[in-house]
Amino acid sequence: MKKSSLVFNSSSRAMNTSVAGHQVSQSSRHKWNFAGSQTRRNSILVGGSNRKRNILDRNANQAPRKPVRVLDNDGNDVTPLPLYHAEPGDMPSKPGRFLDEIFSSSESDQLKSTSSFNMRSFGSFLGSSLPSSLSTTASMTKGTEDSVPKLDIPIIPPPPCGQRKRDNVKQHVTEEMLDDVVDVCLTETDTISLFDLPPLIFMSEDADDTKAIKERNLQYAELCKNRTGNDKYVERSMQTFSGAPKEKQIQTDKIVMVDEGTFATIWDIYDSFCDQNKNPESEKANNPETTVNTSKGHEKRGEKSSSTLSIGSTIGSLLEMETCSLNAESNPELIMLTESFQHSLLVMERSIVANLFQPKLAAYRQLPIIKDPDSTVKPETEEKSEEGEESSSSPTLERLWAFSCELTRGWNITCMVWNKENPDLLAVAYGDCDSTNQKPSLICCWSLKNPTWPERVFHCHSCVTSLDFSANNPSQLAVGMYDGTIAIYTVQSRNNIHCIANSSECSKRHLKPVWQVNWSKQEITLSGEDRVEALVAVSADGRITKWLLCSNGLECIDLMKLKKTKNSKKKAVESKKKTEHMGSALTPGLCMDFHPTDSSVYLVGTWEGLIQKCSVANCHNVLETYQNHFCPVNSIEWSPFSPDVFLSCSSDWTIQLWKQECLTPVLSFTSAQRAVYAVRWSPNWSTIFAAINGLQVEIWDLNLSILHPTIVHQAAPGVTVTSVLFSRGTDCVLVGDSEGQVTVYQLKNLSVGQGKQVTKAVNT
Amino acid sequence: MPPFPSQAEVEETLKRIQSQNGVQGIIIVNTEGIPIKTTLDNASTVQYAGLIHQLVMKARSTVRDIDPQNDLTFLRVRSKKNEIMIAPDKDAFSNKTSFLLY
Repeated sequence: MKKSSLVFNSSSRAMNTSVAGHQVSQSSRHKWNFAGSQTRRNSILVGGSNRKRNILDRNANQAPRKPVRVLDNDGNDVTPLPLYHAEPGDMPSKPGRFLDEIFSSSESDQLKSTSSFNMRSFGSFLGSSLPSSLSTTASMTKGTEDSVPKLDIPIIPPPPCGQRKRDNVKQHVTEEMLDDVVDVCLTETDTISLFDLPPLIFMSEDADDTKAIKERNLQYAELCKNRTGNDKYVERSMQTFSGAPKEKQIQTDKIVMVDEGTFATIWDIYDSFCDQNKNPESEKANNPETTVNTSKGHEKRGEKSSSTLSIGSTIGSLLEMETCSLNAESNPELIMLTESFQHSLLVMERSIVANLFQPKLAAYRQLPIIKDPDSTVKPETEEKSEEGEESSSSPTLERLWAFSCELTRGWNITCMVWNKENPDLLAVAYGDCDSTNQKPSLICCWSLKNPTWPERVFHCHSCVTSLDFSANNPSQLAVGMYDGTIAIYTVQSRNNIHCIANSSECSKRHLKPVWQVNWSKQEITLSGEDRVEALVAVSADGRITKWLLCSNGLECIDLMKLKKTKNSKKKAVESKKKTEHMGSALTPGLCMDFHPTDSSVYLVGTWEGLIQKCSVANCHNVLETYQNHFCPVNSIEWSPFSPDVFLSCSSDWTIQLWKQECLTPVLSFTSAQRAVYAVRWSPNWSTIFAAINGLQVEIWDLNLSILHPTIVHQAAPGVTVTSVLFSRGTDCVLVGDSEGQVTVYQLKNLSVGQGKQVTKAVNT
Repeated sequence: MPPFPSQAEVEETLKRIQSQNGVQGIIIVNTEGIPIKTTLDNASTVQYAGLIHQLVMKARSTVRDIDPQNDLTFLRVRSKKNEIMIAPDKDAFSNKTSFLLY
């Protein structure tokens, strides 16, 4: 074994060191000394020939090799003998592939010799077994043949040498030879296994499996062996029938392509998301609408297919769209009745009006007036500026605009009041206070944003004499009427019922005209809630009543009864003692006002000219009586700046300024010889108040003069001025007249200092 | 009281708007952009309806792109000769717009 394995017919100069070494070590215990260098690149084909070397040189750069002599320990020359000796005139094998080299040379060698090469020596390294026959020198063939042990492959008898010669001759082929017919013999080579890796079955410990597998393997091996020449196995070939081809044609309608584009806008995504959440909750009725909307939206968004509907929409939605569009077209009226349309109209109207009234409103709000840059009306502006220059010096009332419409034309204005929460909302009462005829009257709520039409219109059966907005519930408006009825209206919604309470069913209601109603915040209740607001009314029957809104309606409590004094000319200094006249001798109360800070104290002006200071707590006695007027006190008001000062005006042509502690008036103002119907403090300046006496509006400034009003504005001829109202936060005053017009005037050129107190003026 | 405002009120409001100083005409347009009521002549109405519709869509899209919870409430287009005011409807997509020339 050892020996046989050692047999190398030719010197293996080209052998790998490792292989050689390996084999050598495997095969014998002899040690070998190698002389000469061997590179890895040396092909396994041993080649002692120069030609081989040349080939190898071409493949790789190699150092010229020296002959290798292998000597074992005993000094025997066991140099492997070269297996191949290249004959002169051999065809050079193609450079390149290693295997190609092997095969080409092997083929040529085949012709030469039947020498065998021990495969096993290379098998383990390369895994390849070369064909047995490699060329050797003729001298060696004999020897080798005998000594070759097993062979993996049968030896193919080499073709006669003549062929080889022929090959050799062909080497020197000339052009004439190209035309010769050459026989090429193709034979099938034996199966060349290049790689044989026996299966490594991982033998598990499981005995059952292994045994079975092994048995099966054996069986299979047997089967394979028996297959050849067995009757059971017959070679047979199959053919599949290919059916006769048949041509068939199909035609379709042209598929029309349409480009569709859409925007995935942020709001679209948001809407879809919201709709998703909303839709399961909404009723069925709404659903088709929403789908219609969205599909219509698709259509709109597509925009490219403006005339045709998008392909993406299904037939169902198409139908829906059609039906809905039909519906829509046939019901334009319905659209107009929807709330959103109403709202749009409202906004539109206000915008237009704002356009028209912009300069006036800007003046009202004390904003700079922007001239319309596109205005074509030039001469007017020039005139206005001229006028402005003329009247710039003296204080005056400049008319801004008037709240009026056809609805209110000709009505007499009785009362005007601002809303406590929304300073743009104004309630005006129109009516004729005629004791003989109970004529229906009107309450209009105007908004500053639209001076051409009131926001709300209420009709009342009787003449309205007094209005007041509630502070706690800003939408509630208390109305006092000529026939003694007190009602509460709500101005919130346009469509709902307006009057929410009416005192006509109350047993203790007034039977005589209610001259004034006031909401007043009382002290904090025991429960600690918000200050309860009570509606207090003063009536011509001499009672001051407090009204409460309960479930049934309005209930009233008497706060005070205004008693007649014995002698109106007497000056009652301390009239705490009860008069002995009791019972029905009550004097009508005409006006009242609650103290701005101490809401339990209030003043009442009576028909007799007395001013009574009363307390909510005390319903029998008055706290003070201020007597100076000898005619009915028409209006009374505390000063909003000085807590002790109040003004009263009366039909005796005078306006009196009082201080709380002093029972005689501090100042008295008379300008015209007419009854003064109303007097109002300005909420912005402490020394200014307005008074109306039928034909003119007077603005008094106590700083400038206490003898004459600073501004006197005459009403238009034939028109009586009936009510006056200051507006908070701006220097405008509203004047109501008997023609149904509420005119807004701006106080101009009133040089007022804001911080001055009336008391100072009074003291000087 | 009826739950929704009466027809008469609506008509009255429209009349009032029309009678304001300087108003040239009113056009009320439904969802699809078809005018349903107008005080102008037919040709102008159709022209305005078509053009303004697109403008409103664009304006609304712009407003909502910036903040989807926002919505267009009013649009005014001032030009040298006149001003167009457009009040679009509140519903998300159904534009029942009414606009007028002023």
